[in-house]
Amino acid sequence: MTAFAPDSAAAAGLALCHACGRVEPVTLEHCPRCHARLHLRNPESLQRTLALTIAALILYFPANLLPVLRVESIKGTQENTIIGGVIQFWQEEDYPVAIIIFTASVLIPMIKMISIVWLCLAARSGWSPRAMTRLYRVTEFVGRWSMVDVFVVAVMVAVVQLGSAMSIHAGAAAVSFAAVVILTMLAAITFDPRLIWDAAAHSRRAN
Amino acid sequence: MIRPSGASQHLACPECDALFEAPVLNEGERVVCPRCAALLFGYRRNSVQRAAAFVLAAAPLFVVSNCFPFLTLRADFRESQMQLWQSVSALEEQGYPYLAGAVAVFTLAAPALMIGGLLYLLLPLMAERRLPGAIPLCRWVYRARKWNMIEVFLLGVLVSLLKLGKLATLTLGASFWAFVALILCLAGAVAAIDPREIWTRLEDAKS
Repeated sequence: MTAFAPDSAAAAGLALCHACGRVEPVTLEHCPRCHARLHLRNPESLQRTLALTIAALILYFPANLLPVLRVESIKGTQENTIIGGVIQFWQEEDYPVAIIIFTASVLIPMIKMISIVWLCLAARSGWSPRAMTRLYRVTEFVGRWSMVDVFVVAVMVAVVQLGSAMSIHAGAAAVSFAAVVILTMLAAITFDPRLIWDAAAHSRRAN
Repeated sequence: MIRPSGASQHLACPECDALFEAPVLNEGERVVCPRCAALLFGYRRNSVQRAAAFVLAAAPLFVVSNCFPFLTLRADFRESQMQLWQSVSALEEQGYPYLAGAVAVFTLAAPALMIGGLLYLLLPLMAERRLPGAIPLCRWVYRARKWNMIEVFLLGVLVSLLKLGKLATLTLGASFWAFVALILCLAGAVAAIDPREIWTRLEDAKS
C-alpha cells in the first residue's frame, strides 16, 4: 500500500528526518544535516511493533506469576509477587501506595499493550485518526512509569544489607517485568502514527 | 525570530505528516499541527542560554548525588548506607547482570549522556561554534532522553521508603536531596530546549 494522504509531505516526495526534523526530498536517502537515513514512513513499522508487543505479552505472564522479591528474616522466608505486594499495601491500609503500584505495574502495561494493538488496527482501517493520534501520544508518554516496581526492587536490595537479621533478594519476575516495559517502549517508538492518517485518506477515497 | 538559513521552509508533522509552511514566530508563540493538533515547537528567546544554565546546575548535582550516601537504614544496632550506584551493583551481585545493566542505563548512563552531551553542545553554541562530533552527539542526546528515568526512580525510592519504614529507621542522605534537585534541573533544561533551534544553530555554527 503506497497511498499517502494527499496533503501529506510523503505525497510530495518529502521526508521528515526522524533525527533532526528537517524536511528533504526522500530521493536524497540521507539527511544533509545529520546524515540519518531518510524514509517516508518507519520501515516495517506495523510488523516490528506487533512483534515487540507479542514478545512483551508473553513475558507479561512470568512477570506477574513469579515472585518479584524474596525477604528472608528470622520469621522465615516470604516471597512476593507484584500483585502480592499490592495486596499487602492494601491490607496495611496504605491505599495511595497500593493504587500507585497497581496502576504502574498491572494496569499501565496491560492498557499499553491493548492500545498498541488497537493503534495497529487503526493504521490498517483509518478509523478516527485524531482520537487515535491522541491515544498514541498518551501511550508513548505513560510507558516509562511502569518501571517503578523494578526500581523499588533495586533500591530495597541495595539498602538492606543487614546480614543475619534480614536479607532481600530480587526475584525472577523483576527481569521479565523490566523486559515487558522496555519492549512496550520500543513498540511505541517503532509505531508510526502517520500510517493512521494514510489509511484514513485511503478509506475516504474508497467511499 | 527563527529563520533557518539555507534550510527549507517546509514543516512536516511527525505524527500525521501534514505538510505546511513554517510560520515566523514571536516570543512565547507555538506551532500546532493544523491537522492533528500535535504541539510541534515553540519559540522562546535565549532558549540556548536558559538550557545551558539548567545543565550547568545539573552537572554538579549529578556528581553529588553519586558520591554521598543516598539512604541510611538503622535496625537494632546495625546501620547500612546505600549509595545511588549500589542499586546497580547489588542486583549484579545477586546474579542479575542484565537487570543491573538496564537500571544503570536508566539512572546513570542516560542522565550522564544528556548532561555531558548538552554541555558539549550548548556552551560552544552560545558563541556560535560547534565542536567536532557535535551533530552525531546531538542525535544521541535526543535518543537518551527517552531512556532517562530518574523521576521514575525517585517514585520507586519513595515506595521502598514506605515498605522499609515498617522494618527499620530510614534517613535520607545528602545525595537524595541532590538527586531531587537534579531531576528538577534536567526537566528545566529539557523544557527550555527547542530542538529545531538547536539543529538550525548547530548547522550554521562554525566548526
